[in-house]
Amino acid sequence: MKNFVWLVSYPKSGNTWFRIFLSNYLNNSELPATLEGIESTPIAGNAILFEELTGLNPFELTPEEVDVYRPEIYTFASREIEGVSYRKTHDAYTMNTNGEPLFPAEVSKGAVYFIRNPLDVCVSYANHGASQIEKTIKLLLNEKGLIAGKRNGQLRQMLLSWKGHVESWQNQTSIPIHFVRYEDMKLKPIEAFGSAIRFLGLEYDEERLVRAIGHSDFKLLQKMEEETGFQERLQKCKSFFWKGEIGNYRNYLSDNDIERIVDYSSDIMKKFGYLSADNKLEI
Amino acid sequence: MVIDFPVSNVAIKYSQPFSKLDNPVLDYPRFQVKENEFFMEVDRIARYLVRNGNEIFIDQHDEADRASVYLFLAGSAFGVLLHQRCMLPLHGSSFVFNGKGVVICGASGAGKSSVVASFCLNGGIFINDDITPLNITDSQTTIVPISTRIKLWDDTLEKLNITNTDLEKIRPTIEKFYLPVSDSCIEEKRFDQLYILATHNKEEFIVKELGGVEKYNAIRYQIYRKMYLKGMPETEKTYFRQLLKLSTQITVKQIVRPNICDVRDTMAFIRKEIGE
Repeated sequence: MKNFVWLVSYPKSGNTWFRIFLSNYLNNSELPATLEGIESTPIAGNAILFEELTGLNPFELTPEEVDVYRPEIYTFASREIEGVSYRKTHDAYTMNTNGEPLFPAEVSKGAVYFIRNPLDVCVSYANHGASQIEKTIKLLLNEKGLIAGKRNGQLRQMLLSWKGHVESWQNQTSIPIHFVRYEDMKLKPIEAFGSAIRFLGLEYDEERLVRAIGHSDFKLLQKMEEETGFQERLQKCKSFFWKGEIGNYRNYLSDNDIERIVDYSSDIMKKFGYLSADNKLEI
Repeated sequence: MVIDFPVSNVAIKYSQPFSKLDNPVLDYPRFQVKENEFFMEVDRIARYLVRNGNEIFIDQHDEADRASVYLFLAGSAFGVLLHQRCMLPLHGSSFVFNGKGVVICGASGAGKSSVVASFCLNGGIFINDDITPLNITDSQTTIVPISTRIKLWDDTLEKLNITNTDLEKIRPTIEKFYLPVSDSCIEEKRFDQLYILATHNKEEFIVKELGGVEKYNAIRYQIYRKMYLKGMPETEKTYFRQLLKLSTQITVKQIVRPNICDVRDTMAFIRKEIGE
């Protein structure tokens, strides 16, 4: 049964923000959904769930071995769940060592891909992980980039490079996919969030949409995080919902930093409107 | 192959063909469960069949190494054998400190083994690592000793000033090692305190003592491979009664530690809670 929707992104690209919006839209409540409610929604790389479905401690398997089990546990879980399940993932679209995609088409209703200017991703991620800009640039350009899967926490997720991540999902044809730009979520929220609602086949109701967008306003999320904390924040990082601004990279990246990311990622940046045909930054 | 198996009266058989279970009560992608039978397949390592709490059949994959076959035998396969014997295994590591029998539970990666190792380097007496079976009676519950070594990651060993040069790896591809413990318990010890270890992204430690239904449910949640019980309804009924007894006999505290913190700080925090 095709009942999984994968909410896909490179880190710091609006995935959590969208999950909060979606939770508000589905709840259709007068009050905003709590961050606690979002924390309990499943993540594709959840290690505890993996252990419950396989009976194996994922940290005593290699990440490649873990990936062998992932398609089958999603297939199994698909039979166990009722209705549609939305699962966040930072995984690029890759195959395991058996040549099977991690996300089986047979159980995938679709995927929403959140894309953000890689220059802003870099700055936001550097803050998010309290790491330095240079380290983050290297990750964005690393064709074998990955996160998690060490000794605890989440399962290993292959990111590839920023560009490789986008391309991996763009090039696959097995799962229907809808791309949403972070910048459009900020500047044209009705259009951006509304297009995702339509793609997901949910009932489109503009009043409900406006309310859900309001309930996931960035300033409100910052306030909620300040009051109750947020589990997805890394310990060494002050806040998860940091600035969320468009073009914030101009305050932090040197010309050389920008050039390195743009040179490597220019074709995808052009495709998504971050770079003009004559190589000028649009944002 | 000779292996060190921690409970007696178990026949371990190799090279005897066996098939998956007929009509399992629980049928997951890689394991099947009936009240007294269990089948598990670990990809490219081995297939295991566990029966009646006293028989284990192993069909080793051609490419598998001995250490990996043993690891999953001593984990999930052994865990289900304890279930078949109704020895209620907790997903936790245990030790004696200041005369008290303590079990530290938590999800894989929560730091159970590291904390126990740290205690054992500071006056604690080791009982078990990762799986702690219990003997529950009306008057008291005891911890059954089954381990003689602790599985520790290389970085934990380093923090505890232990070199891994002569230690055996749990698997050739994983940087986790067996640390033998010479001063370990050989007799059952009374179970006094359970600590459930979790992590958060804050800098402080939090402790909460549990009571009532919350306490019962929290203990139940710590059962090793509790999902197997969906296929073992009679065992689950027995455990229900045992857990009711257990929850009146021990104290249960939830400890939330920072994601990033020194294992010795976690040990020191729990040490205060254990008391004199």
